[in-house]
Amino acid sequence: MYPANHKTVFVLDHTPYFGISTESPLEFDCLKTRGQNLIPLAPICKSLWTTSVESSMEYCRIVWDLFPTGKLVRFVVSDHAAHILNTWSASQQNLSHIMNGMAIIGVPPRTHQPGVDFSVIHGLRVAIEALTESSEIQHEKRTSLTENATKLLNSGRVICITSARDDINMKSLENIFLNQLTQQNKIALTSDHLIPVHHCHLVILNIFPNNIESQVTSQSPREVSPLLTMEVHSMKAPALHSKLSHLILSHYDLASTTVTGIPMKEEQNASSSANYDVEIFHSSAAHSAILKGNPQDSALIKTFRRFEEGSEYETVTLKWCTPRGCSACEMQNCTAMHRITPVDVNSRPSSCLINFLLNGRSVMLEMARKSGGKTISHLLAAHGGEIFIHTLSTARSVLEDPPSISEGCGGRVTDYRITDFGTLMRNNVLVPLKKNSSDEGEGPAAKMRSRLERHTKYWPITISNTLMFNLKQLIDPLPELMVKDDLTKEEIVQCKQIIFALLQLEAKHEPLPLPSIGGGRGGKGGVRREEHYRLLWGELETFLKGHANNSAAHVEVLNCLLEVRNKDDKDKVELDQALRELDGLGKEDITARASVIRATTDSPMSPPPCTSVSLGKQLHKGSLYTPKSLLDIWLQRSAPKERKPEFHGRIQSDGPKAKLYPNLKEPGREPREPILEA
Amino acid sequence: MPTVIALDVSLSMRRPVLGVLGTDSVQTEQLTRHHLAVQGINALLHYLQTNSKLEFVSLVVFSSLYEVICPFTRDYDSIRAKLQNIEECDKTCIETALHGVNNVIMAEWGNTTACQVILVTDGNPGVGTMSLGDSLNSLNVKRDNNPFPLPFPYPGKLSIVCIASQQDPGLAIGLPLYQRLIELAGSDSIVLIPEGQLTKNSVTNCFQKLAEANYVSFQGYLKCGHLGSRIFLSPPPMPHTKKTDFEILAGLTVSKTIEICGFISVADVGSPSAISRHLVLPLPTEKTPSMQGISLEEESDTEDNGDDGKIPSFCVLLHGALKVENMAALCLLNTDWYGFIYSWADTKKKSNLMLTLLEPGTDIIPWLGNLSNLGPIDAAINKSGEIGFPVRPSEKRSYSQNAPSWIRQVGLQSDIQKILRHARKLPEKTQNFYKELNRLRRAALSMGFVELLEGLASIFERECTLLPPNLNPDCTIQMGHVAEMLRKPYSRELKNNITPVRTKFHHAE
Repeated sequence: MYPANHKTVFVLDHTPYFGISTESPLEFDCLKTRGQNLIPLAPICKSLWTTSVESSMEYCRIVWDLFPTGKLVRFVVSDHAAHILNTWSASQQNLSHIMNGMAIIGVPPRTHQPGVDFSVIHGLRVAIEALTESSEIQHEKRTSLTENATKLLNSGRVICITSARDDINMKSLENIFLNQLTQQNKIALTSDHLIPVHHCHLVILNIFPNNIESQVTSQSPREVSPLLTMEVHSMKAPALHSKLSHLILSHYDLASTTVTGIPMKEEQNASSSANYDVEIFHSSAAHSAILKGNPQDSALIKTFRRFEEGSEYETVTLKWCTPRGCSACEMQNCTAMHRITPVDVNSRPSSCLINFLLNGRSVMLEMARKSGGKTISHLLAAHGGEIFIHTLSTARSVLEDPPSISEGCGGRVTDYRITDFGTLMRNNVLVPLKKNSSDEGEGPAAKMRSRLERHTKYWPITISNTLMFNLKQLIDPLPELMVKDDLTKEEIVQCKQIIFALLQLEAKHEPLPLPSIGGGRGGKGGVRREEHYRLLWGELETFLKGHANNSAAHVEVLNCLLEVRNKDDKDKVELDQALRELDGLGKEDITARASVIRATTDSPMSPPPCTSVSLGKQLHKGSLYTPKSLLDIWLQRSAPKERKPEFHGRIQSDGPKAKLYPNLKEPGREPREPILEA
Repeated sequence: MPTVIALDVSLSMRRPVLGVLGTDSVQTEQLTRHHLAVQGINALLHYLQTNSKLEFVSLVVFSSLYEVICPFTRDYDSIRAKLQNIEECDKTCIETALHGVNNVIMAEWGNTTACQVILVTDGNPGVGTMSLGDSLNSLNVKRDNNPFPLPFPYPGKLSIVCIASQQDPGLAIGLPLYQRLIELAGSDSIVLIPEGQLTKNSVTNCFQKLAEANYVSFQGYLKCGHLGSRIFLSPPPMPHTKKTDFEILAGLTVSKTIEICGFISVADVGSPSAISRHLVLPLPTEKTPSMQGISLEEESDTEDNGDDGKIPSFCVLLHGALKVENMAALCLLNTDWYGFIYSWADTKKKSNLMLTLLEPGTDIIPWLGNLSNLGPIDAAINKSGEIGFPVRPSEKRSYSQNAPSWIRQVGLQSDIQKILRHARKLPEKTQNFYKELNRLRRAALSMGFVELLEGLASIFERECTLLPPNLNPDCTIQMGHVAEMLRKPYSRELKNNITPVRTKFHHAE
């Protein structure tokens, strides 16, 4: 709770001394490879100032890559006075803001001017003031009305890059800082908007050019007062970067992973590939599963120490696994995820790995076990332009040997409306919405909830419990339209047309075109035609009643159904009226197409459907799905006495289904079955 | 939840229980605390056998050392068999026991699986060094190699059962120490002492109580609009504690009604981290009127034949559709707490419905944005500029910004080489040349690296003298121009860009 890394202030020494060279010549003259007889250029060196700016920027780069929010860094530059580069506000917590500020600050003033007090003290004083200012989240917590509001502890860290004369000088710096901290806390206590600093961690980085021996000695962290812990690191300027990138590990509890064995094309020789390593930083929690997990394996996991300009730290080496298939497309058992950043951001191996990931591919990382085996322990993947390390579970699972869904409740039912539910899911896919502050009342989540309720108002879960959803060719798009929260004029007409078309079909004594799938409902043919219509009308009524309170338009559709049904029951003559209405509604009666086609293919001379057909189907089904009734058995017995000759095609076919026009699928011809289907 | 039963086998466990004789007169042997403990453990195993068959149990015995008698298993009878032949050892050492337990659990389940630790002892915390009192007193002394085993390095719950009567004088010393232990362990850990006289019955009741308190199954309702099913979660979710920089939210529990908020394709979900995973097992459920539909069979007695497998369940439908569509259902577990339900197959390709609990909160998966701001797709169409997943952060990370980094010399060298490569291909590469040049110049100015600008000017001047004769004369003109510009105060201003000099080779854009 209340970690020191929430607020960090960098104090950069911008006094004239920092304008001097680090005396560490750079190899910037890259013509050397081109030939020997070149005039060498005068060597260039970074100044102390450039070194401290780039190292502190690198520190921020890592912090903000890994923790885009919640870990705040401010910059104060100190020369004759303190210059504040940014505030705690989230909008100023980014590198480009700081870089712009640094460009405006420019190089340290060249010479001492008489009467001007150049000192890093100005900056330290302002840094303490900055720590007493609340960050956005601190302000929110302090002003919240919960009991925790008063318990808020304000911790922070000041990292000061300077160059002191000697240890005495450093001691006085310490005293001034502690004094100032105590003073500022007194001020903060009397103020409404400032919070006293409960604890401050002061890190002083004393740098000096390569050709100078410093009189300042390093000091390990020590509690100066309950308010202040202080440490001093003294080093040559070029070592500043590695010192800071070492310190950052403990400041933010980070760990290093070296991804090893990354295959990469050679620049010179594109046909071969060599293996490279890339080191990344991330929160140390990403390793806790493998380092704290299994004590045997964590002892065996290879952690190499890296030595770089005097500082050392551990890195866990994990092996690149060339991705097979799409590991991102399935739900991995991920126990932790953390953002990563490459340690060496612009190097070729780093950018190769980064681009590979940013392009949407993911990489599994493999951990070697002493036993000789290997385990996939992590997954690297980019999401929305940010790269994460996912820690995958390597331990035994308590879900070992689970039952299959088919062994449980409802597992042996085979006619679920899975395709329809898939459609419902696709219609209720979630997308990110920007919360509109002007939107009053329900947010997107609440809207989604009422939408799902609307979509499931009438939703039989098995095929054998519904007629209307099995008659899509007649009913569509009625169900789809009715689940909307409102209907347009055209949509109302469309719905009514569907009802009328159905009515027309019934009037023509057409059997419902039920598909022959599962359950027991289909196939009873002419025998149960009227019963089917009765059930369908009933079901439609339930469905429409369910949606009646969606809008007035929905009521209109329901009323239409109720009206035609009543008419139908009372007086058959009224049907003609309804049919005339239907004709008036529009010629483009797509939904009636099925019956129209049926009408054209049936010649007046067509015999009534052969009962043995439906019987055959019925028997076929009955043996599988339904117990036979006495009627079934009687019908079966009476079947051979059928007077009508069997359809010629069926005699030659294998089962009760006969293929029509078997010669039709000759090469070059378009299959016509769909047209003939009815 | 895997369980470790740690049984004290110190000599004090073999003390006879006063006033309690073996039930059968044939068995004249006096009952000891050890007998009662075994009896109690058997009662616990019996409870698991009937109520919680999927729990893994391991048996560890301890004195001044520990020994794994039975590794984790679901075969409770094998544990029972081992229980019969346990030999007594020396003295009680609870710290050793807990170290042993931690090793056993971490080796098997890692640091994220919630576990139960049941410590069975006699209320006698041991004497001398390595006694419990001694261990607890040295807590604050820094122990680098051997930290105290509590709190558990995994989500664990400690239950201490004392086979001692309430009046036992030893308890007066032991009990406060056990209280310390469970405080350290946290997570609703408890100390249990049999009620009343120390008898077979009271001990059995005590273990029964423990089992009922610790192995509560989770039964709830999975709701999707008007559809739904009663469900059973295995293993039951544990109360969760969320720690952030500014608050600790303890005791977060999953609501009994889990409501589906909508669907997202599994690829978009992208394996976020989960605090735990649970199988969602359907229970027989009355159909809601919305699911009922119509009955096409008059003789619909198939549903009453008592076969649960034949009664349609929403969970099976949901599982089928999630699997076919490769989607996951986002569901609300409690206020501001979400999870995902999806189809999961184990190594044997047995497919089932799985629920993963996300970290509590609404803004926990960066690429999905705030979960409470997810809504139907038609709402997005009305507003412009909405695109879908992934949600991108407002700022790019450093690795996708291509910002110069000169901490290592190579970085600086490659930036300079890039500019020189462009320079040799002038005038075609005029734009790239000036773009890279100004990028480098701006970076140098931000870092106060004016020495570089001077150095770069000298490089260009020398480069002019080295150009092969067949190169376009524009190279010389532009590089000379740049070298001159770099030395002027004009180029030391961030806002000023160096622009190409107009030549006859340079076609007007």
